[in-house]
Amino acid sequence: MMKNSAEVVIIGGGVVGCAIAYNLAKMGCQDVVVLEKEYLTAGATGRCGAGIRQQWGTEMNCKLSKASMDTFEVLNEMLGYPEDIELKQDGYLILAYEEKEIEQFKKNIALQNSLGIESRLIDPGEARKIVPHLNTEGLLGAAFCGRDGHANPFHVTQAYAEAAKRMGVEIYTYTECRDIEREGDRITAVVTDRGKIKTEKVVNAAGGYSDLIGAMVGLDLPVYSERHQIMVTEPVNPLQGPMVISFYHHFYCQQVPHGAFIMGQGDPNEPKGHNIGHSWQFLQELSGKITGTFPALKKLRVVRQWSGLYNITPDSQPILCEAPEVPGFYMAIGFSGHGFMIAPMTGVVMAELILGKDLSMPVHKLDLGRFDRGELVLEPSVV
Amino acid sequence: MRIKDHPILSFPEGKTVEFSFEGKTFIGKEGEPIAAALHDAGIRVLRHSPRHNRPRGFFCAIGNCSSCLMVVNGEPNVKVCVTPLRQGMKVEYQKGKGDINAAD
Repeated sequence: MMKNSAEVVIIGGGVVGCAIAYNLAKMGCQDVVVLEKEYLTAGATGRCGAGIRQQWGTEMNCKLSKASMDTFEVLNEMLGYPEDIELKQDGYLILAYEEKEIEQFKKNIALQNSLGIESRLIDPGEARKIVPHLNTEGLLGAAFCGRDGHANPFHVTQAYAEAAKRMGVEIYTYTECRDIEREGDRITAVVTDRGKIKTEKVVNAAGGYSDLIGAMVGLDLPVYSERHQIMVTEPVNPLQGPMVISFYHHFYCQQVPHGAFIMGQGDPNEPKGHNIGHSWQFLQELSGKITGTFPALKKLRVVRQWSGLYNITPDSQPILCEAPEVPGFYMAIGFSGHGFMIAPMTGVVMAELILGKDLSMPVHKLDLGRFDRGELVLEPSVV
Repeated sequence: MRIKDHPILSFPEGKTVEFSFEGKTFIGKEGEPIAAALHDAGIRVLRHSPRHNRPRGFFCAIGNCSSCLMVVNGEPNVKVCVTPLRQGMKVEYQKGKGDINAAD
């Protein structure tokens, strides 16, 4: 039986929705429902490249990702998770092929270092020592942070979901939010395909579909979705320590603890929309780039490809706030391709925001109003 | 063991080739699956499972099951049940999930 009322209804059973639910319950608000139209992690969480890095170019992304990394390091214990989130901290190596990239990396690293993130600029020789199969032709240098890395998004989401459920949170999978009812400007209920849940507080954590949820309360949100394709190879014994990414080539490539290589790319010509199909052109194009940069990977066979949605804002920073026009409608959206890695801290601040508590990290700069005010701080480091 | 007469399938006789398995020389028929030549040579264990190191033998025979992944000419994860035998092939057991050589 589904509950017919809840203090808070969270729309979206990805890592963000589950992390918010856990933190709400932990802070004493246990009358919480999570709605997921498919299964947990069915959206961007379960489709992402599964990297976690702190090497960002804006203060807020740096702070959120550093605090989240602190949490990832203790997540198994914190959530009492009997399995393992498969944290791997062999670093993130960000390749630079142009002088202007080096200049940007220097700025980013100065910002990161000022916030306690231990990143540094290295030369191609050192990059080659860290990744022995790297082709350094044309490489000018790289940014490296050894504490960055990987965690398993399925396990992380499951860990949050199980901990939340133990404290009384109800998670309804295969339950779709169809509408949000209001009286005046107040929210009164969420309508699902399995019935209605009375509530005054709704959290939009719908990732690539956050625009559709926003439209249910009359908001035209400044976000759009964009397909990003990705593929995985057969597993081999450990070869590559860090995640390697290139903004110049628009790719990322890592070897996960299981041994498989996961890699993907951003396509500058990708149209906006909710398409999550995939193409053979992607396989051909990315294979070419990857085997050029890592010739040894020519021997790997691809076993699967898929795609997922980035939910993108004009400044590539998330929107974390309550909608000023719709009291009780909260948003944790627009993560622009890095929602997984900042989910732990997002869960904390969103729960504090919803419960009216003092924020353990000020996130007022990430409100919806910044787009109208024109106070955008552009994140330069997105693949 | 080698099946020569089968009620449905026919086995065209390829020419005899030499190959090595774990450093020893064996003979097989050119173009037959490597696994067939190994079977004929009495080799029953093709792989060890990566997690528990349990022996794995000839199983699905159609390239699906990962039971016969071996190192062939230095390349890991070769499905020997569907890979044709050639003269001079170097076939070896794979350690764990197989090694890619960074220098290649």
